[in-house]
Amino acid sequence: MADFKSKKMTVPEAVRELIKDGDMMTFSGFTIWRRPMAMVHEIVRQGKKDLHLVEVNSGTHGEVLIGAGCVKVWESCFMGHELFGKIGANLNRKLKNGEIIVEDYSHVQMVMRLAAGSMGLPFLPTYCALGTDILNPEYDVLGKKGMRDGSNPRIPTEKFNYQEDPFYGERAVLNVPAARPNVCIAHVQQVGDEGTVKVMGQRYSDNEAMKAADKLIVVAEEIVPEEVIRQDPTANLIPHYLVDAIVEQPWGAHPTGCFGYYEVDGAFIRDFYSKTKTQEGFDAWAEEWILGCGDYNEYLYKLGFNRLDSLRANAAMNYSLRVKRGAR
Amino acid sequence: MEWKNNFDLAKPSDFKTLDLLAVSGAREVNDREIVFAGTGLPMLAVSLAQKTNAPKASIVYEAGSMDGRPAHLPASVGDARCEHKASVSSGLMDVFSQLQKGAVDLAFLGGAEIDKYGNVNTTAVGDYMDPNASSRLAGSGGNPDINSMARRTVFIMVQEKRRFKEEVDYITSPGWRVKDWPSGKWKSRQEVYGSAYRGGPVAVITNMAVFRFDEQTGLMYLDTVHPGTTIEDIKANVGFDIDVSRCRGETPLPTYHELYLLYNVIDPEGIFVA
Repeated sequence: MADFKSKKMTVPEAVRELIKDGDMMTFSGFTIWRRPMAMVHEIVRQGKKDLHLVEVNSGTHGEVLIGAGCVKVWESCFMGHELFGKIGANLNRKLKNGEIIVEDYSHVQMVMRLAAGSMGLPFLPTYCALGTDILNPEYDVLGKKGMRDGSNPRIPTEKFNYQEDPFYGERAVLNVPAARPNVCIAHVQQVGDEGTVKVMGQRYSDNEAMKAADKLIVVAEEIVPEEVIRQDPTANLIPHYLVDAIVEQPWGAHPTGCFGYYEVDGAFIRDFYSKTKTQEGFDAWAEEWILGCGDYNEYLYKLGFNRLDSLRANAAMNYSLRVKRGAR
Repeated sequence: MEWKNNFDLAKPSDFKTLDLLAVSGAREVNDREIVFAGTGLPMLAVSLAQKTNAPKASIVYEAGSMDGRPAHLPASVGDARCEHKASVSSGLMDVFSQLQKGAVDLAFLGGAEIDKYGNVNTTAVGDYMDPNASSRLAGSGGNPDINSMARRTVFIMVQEKRRFKEEVDYITSPGWRVKDWPSGKWKSRQEVYGSAYRGGPVAVITNMAVFRFDEQTGLMYLDTVHPGTTIEDIKANVGFDIDVSRCRGETPLPTYHELYLLYNVIDPEGIFVA
């Protein structure tokens, strides 16, 4: 009989006990929204290495991990910080230096890969992105590097394949292989003390990401009594029995945004992006904001009340009405 | 001068190029259409259309919201503002599945490079397999998926000779003639997509002009030029042989009321129009 309460961990415990060097990982959220930044900082602090990220899209969290040298392979379709930084500068530099391997899929293809993983299937079909260089066999980077030889059971032996429609005689479908990460780290608004997960606002690809992974670590703004989170089960996304660890970390997605709790900190991300243009710039940033802070709460104290308060969501609107977003 | 409810065409000195792009985009939207929009200009264009020519158009954002009625302009598709008063809010799997099934009439997308058939690159400029001889862009995102499965796609791009190329360095998003993998043979989009064919790129709106595509050949041609731009300017800023013979003249200008809506109603905070 599982002891549900034993799932509760601190951020450092969850990283130490559930994430290993070389793990394949995925995340909750979308570009600069609801990314598990507290866990990402701790992964950097603990110096995890050779991570293999498989994600629908990346963003600020990916750039922190890549800049810190934690990532060996990145399979995804997008890297950037939306309005606050158009590309992934760390990714580009590491790619040029031969320090990271990048495999491109399309957005739908990555969603389908995680969906297949979440369903326990080996693949799913799609029609999306036919005719593009994403399907060019010469651009199968993992294949070209000899990494599709079956030695790593989490890397599929083909990037794609095609299959005639066996039922309706329609166009051949493109099959994309399941993504089967070791770990998903999710940042959500609320989790029950037994692990029932509630996600508020757009759910992005959270359902697929959280269910595709072998292990699921849920960081929540608030841990709430299980009997309260069960009052409206249709509002919940993940049953407690799929969750391996629950961590309470308010503001744990900063500088990315969290529906109903706080805004994207655009000024912070813009500054981060400018620092990532050189490795020295990133290293100094990481020293100041991650390594120089003993833990995530120290980072929050360093950000200060005024900054966080301006980002705090208006309870009626689910986003901040006070943060300055534009030129007027 | 009061701009609200003033439907006179604005003088070129009274608007910026970005305003014209948003207005031109808005005019591509028909009423009651289901429109997929990305961050930035696409959001402005569809929001403006909803307040002018297409009041019953619905916006779908790939992050998972359907027909939101934001009280404040979202700054990205993941924004909490997207789902304010939405019909449904869910996630990518849901909206992408609807897209794949054919629910989406029109999509607005961007690109870094485009070729004469409307193939777009948002992945890498230079040799993709040699990172030292290329420069990585943001990546595909949903661009190829949305462009694959929407009935019509409108691209909004910066016009430069180096971006309008005979062949793009990497086909991220499919135009009217594409490579059929795994053979890599150039074929028409209709052939490649077969029973899954829905449509494709219909317009490219740049800072200089509006381009469209010939229905038979799939080749891009010049449709209208923005005020102050000549056909010679266009030729000098397109890297392939562009058909200018069908140019209809000047791009229809914004009205003052449209500018009022953009600056005072849709983006009063100055996130995109500043």
